[in-house]
Amino acid sequence: MLSADFVIATAVGYVGLLFVLAYFGDRRARTNTRSFLHSPAVYTLSISVYCTSWTFYGAVGNAARSGLEFLTIYLGPTLIFVGWWFLLRRLVRISHDQRITSVADLLSSRFGKSNRLAVLITCIAVIGIAPYIALQLKAVTSSIQAVAGSSEFGRGSLKGIDDVSLAFGVAAGMALFTILFGTRHVDAKEQHHGVVAAIAFEAVVKLAALLAVGIFVVFVGGGFENIFSKAAEVGITVDASNTFDSRWLTTLALSVAAIVCLPRQFQVTVVENSDENHLRVASWAFPGYMLLMSLFILPIAIFGMTTMPAGSNPDMFALTLPMAFGQDALALFAFIGGFSSATSMIILESIALSIMVSNHIVMPLILRFSPAGSGDGQGVTSLLLIARRFSIVLILSLGFFYFFFTRDSDALAPIGLISFTAIAQFFPAVIAALFWRDASLKAATAAIAAGFVFWVWCSFLPSFESVSPQVATLLANGPWGISWLRPEAMFGLDGLDPLAHAAFWSLLVNILTLTLGSLLTSQSALERIQASVFVDVFSRGQANRSNFVRGSATANDLFFVAERVLGERRAAALFETEARDSGVEPDMLEPSPEFIGRLERELAGSIGAASAHVMLSKVVSGSDVSLEEMMQMADETQQAIEYSQQLEKTSAELRSTARQLEEANAQLRELDSQKDEFLSQVSHEVRTPMTSIRSFSEILLDSDDIDMGQRQHFVSTIHQESLRLTKLLDEILDLSALERGERTWDNVPIDAEAALDRALAVCEALLRQRGMKVELGDRARSTMVEGDADRLCQVFINLISNAVKYNDSDKPVIRIASAVKAGSYVAEIADNGPGIAKRERKLIFEKFWRGPGGVADQGGAGLGLAISRQIVARMNGSLDLAPGPLPGACFVVRLAVMK
Amino acid sequence: MAARRKIRGGLLLLTVLGACLMLPPLVYVFDQPIAHFGIPQIVLYLFALWLALIIGTALLTHALPREGSQTDPGEGER
Repeated sequence: MLSADFVIATAVGYVGLLFVLAYFGDRRARTNTRSFLHSPAVYTLSISVYCTSWTFYGAVGNAARSGLEFLTIYLGPTLIFVGWWFLLRRLVRISHDQRITSVADLLSSRFGKSNRLAVLITCIAVIGIAPYIALQLKAVTSSIQAVAGSSEFGRGSLKGIDDVSLAFGVAAGMALFTILFGTRHVDAKEQHHGVVAAIAFEAVVKLAALLAVGIFVVFVGGGFENIFSKAAEVGITVDASNTFDSRWLTTLALSVAAIVCLPRQFQVTVVENSDENHLRVASWAFPGYMLLMSLFILPIAIFGMTTMPAGSNPDMFALTLPMAFGQDALALFAFIGGFSSATSMIILESIALSIMVSNHIVMPLILRFSPAGSGDGQGVTSLLLIARRFSIVLILSLGFFYFFFTRDSDALAPIGLISFTAIAQFFPAVIAALFWRDASLKAATAAIAAGFVFWVWCSFLPSFESVSPQVATLLANGPWGISWLRPEAMFGLDGLDPLAHAAFWSLLVNILTLTLGSLLTSQSALERIQASVFVDVFSRGQANRSNFVRGSATANDLFFVAERVLGERRAAALFETEARDSGVEPDMLEPSPEFIGRLERELAGSIGAASAHVMLSKVVSGSDVSLEEMMQMADETQQAIEYSQQLEKTSAELRSTARQLEEANAQLRELDSQKDEFLSQVSHEVRTPMTSIRSFSEILLDSDDIDMGQRQHFVSTIHQESLRLTKLLDEILDLSALERGERTWDNVPIDAEAALDRALAVCEALLRQRGMKVELGDRARSTMVEGDADRLCQVFINLISNAVKYNDSDKPVIRIASAVKAGSYVAEIADNGPGIAKRERKLIFEKFWRGPGGVADQGGAGLGLAISRQIVARMNGSLDLAPGPLPGACFVVRLAVMK
Repeated sequence: MAARRKIRGGLLLLTVLGACLMLPPLVYVFDQPIAHFGIPQIVLYLFALWLALIIGTALLTHALPREGSQTDPGEGER
């Protein structure tokens, strides 16, 4: 027969074994970084600290009381691990990069290294976890009492000792054990290989124990089928008709949040992770572990309900069933299994919480009240250890007090869910921290605080209902009789399951505050930097993440700080490595910004990001941190937005290229249509003389009876037309050569006046023929310009002949004048013809344009002015139409005078 | 890279689908008062779903190419 004394002795012996394991595990992990302790298997087993005595004892009780609901606690985490790539991998990477030590450190670091937020989260975690610790104490106490109550010898030395004293003893023992275990030294990354080794061992023990009990039950009960059918005979069935309600959804959601945010889960999954690839194994192995743990829970619960006497505590079936069948060895194994699950939780949870308390509450206080550069080498380290020991005692005391006040409630699982609801308040902020760049510190702080207030009111307070009549009245009537403030029916939302009610309101308020607040408030510079470091963790390169510039810090100052926190040995090693890497003597070391950044992360591993930042900024820039730091931050912000700017630039370039292409395309179309127009005009021009040549030659060919005179006339017409055709083609060739600049062109000094005189002489016959009166205005003296004399003469002839051709006046007059004005030679050729209508002034220099009122047969192709303008342009001059002295048109040629 | 993206998509689908399958209304489909091998159908369903999720994750994760093992820069200094 088992006795209480015996199981307590076994438990103490077991704890001793764990201690030895942790000690050797620690030594082994230190000397050999590739040992078995760094394997994914140990990592997975350590995550299994999620399965506490809540699982070992509570799940059976839960299954007995409310059927399948216990499964949600394991299905939620399964989902998180199935989707490990999206959340856990990101968390692990960020925490490695930033040396994150806890969930409080994570959020504080993300939200601008704010210490206030870290303090808030730490306080909430410590208070929120108290019920969870109480659950473990209750489970251990109940299991010892179950053994003690099993027989008359059972009590042994426990005679006269009640639950409370026993729980106190258990709590004290656990506190001592955890202090011995977890606070022997301060590690750079808050990794505790020895503890993890012990936890992994305990994970194996509890799984084996529960499986053993399960197999025993199935064996005794005659197989799964028999257990279920026998239970059905006495009216015990798995009733799932009401299982999938709001409570199912709530517990599932809470367990999703808890697996990420519970301090101990964060510790083992994220902080203790030594290789990101371990997650690959844990992603399926941890859900597998939970599946094995849950496999026999339902049979144990059902079998227990069928065979155990009415009124026995279903939470203890895993222990009392083997005892009822006289299997003492199995019962002892089950007890050790349950004890394992409780101890592993308490050890890790209080270590994780104590790290939070010491890093975020005690350390900033020490920093505030001790000036930089004071204290001896090991001062901070030993202070930290003392702070951690005290926080462990505090945390276990809180757990014990909670147990003391709520000892009358009997079920285990509901207590745990109270803690889950508290811890779930961190989840929205964690998600926002990882994925939402705009989430701000003010919003996150307010959201967590508001969620916490609702949790206290709706979930924590009601758990004292059975011990406090005041709370019971409050629950029934609301404060001061305000019924819509009743904790379990806020705003009149009655009839909902209390847990779903509390989770709904607290998380709703939390999420709303976080989202709305972030949209309404703005971030500080440091927040923005950290936001981009977190959100872009996979897209940013391994850029220098230091927030300091080469300030007034000397290596000596820095060493002093490092020594205070890390201890002399590690600080010296760190500085020597740096000196070796930069190739200077350790005494001559100039701290680079990268080095200071690394030092900050190294310190953050021991005392948290916020404290490390404060501590270093004290030394690095003396008392005046703001300006230089701000500049550096601006620089970092620059870096952070650089790649988005690059993207923008590229897209702007693309846009402008597209626009240029569009323009070029339009130009090409324009040119194409011009070409078509030109071709059709040319064809038209060519067609007219060709038609007459063809018709005259046909007449000559067909009819023999044409007299000689007519024949002569026809032949001469053909000749004239061919001449016109040739001239037209010559002009076209000339113009196209001019336009394309193909023809070599030599500008030489020429006398413009001489060219004008020559043109007049050439046209004299033409002028006389038309009876044109030539008025000669003022003439410039012989003026030298740059150009081609023949070409210039050609221009003048063209202008004069145009004046003759288009003049239909009875007394035609042409007026020619020239002058030198403002360094330009200006020649004017005016006539008293019809002039050029306003709307045609732009067109006259176009190809194939001919004056409408011209003499019918002037024989021109309409290219003269176009060619003339091209020629003058090649001589760097201009040919324009100007208001002239006579009623008709007046053309002005301007050419620069040579100096 | 395309294969890698698809495997990641598969993981996401598995996660979301898993969540949908364990929540109302889909879970109601399997919540019938029938028993197979003496065990209620809903119990079998939930455990089978769970096992399927574990196996699916193991297969997809195995197919996902490894990234360079991220060892900490501070590791060598101790």
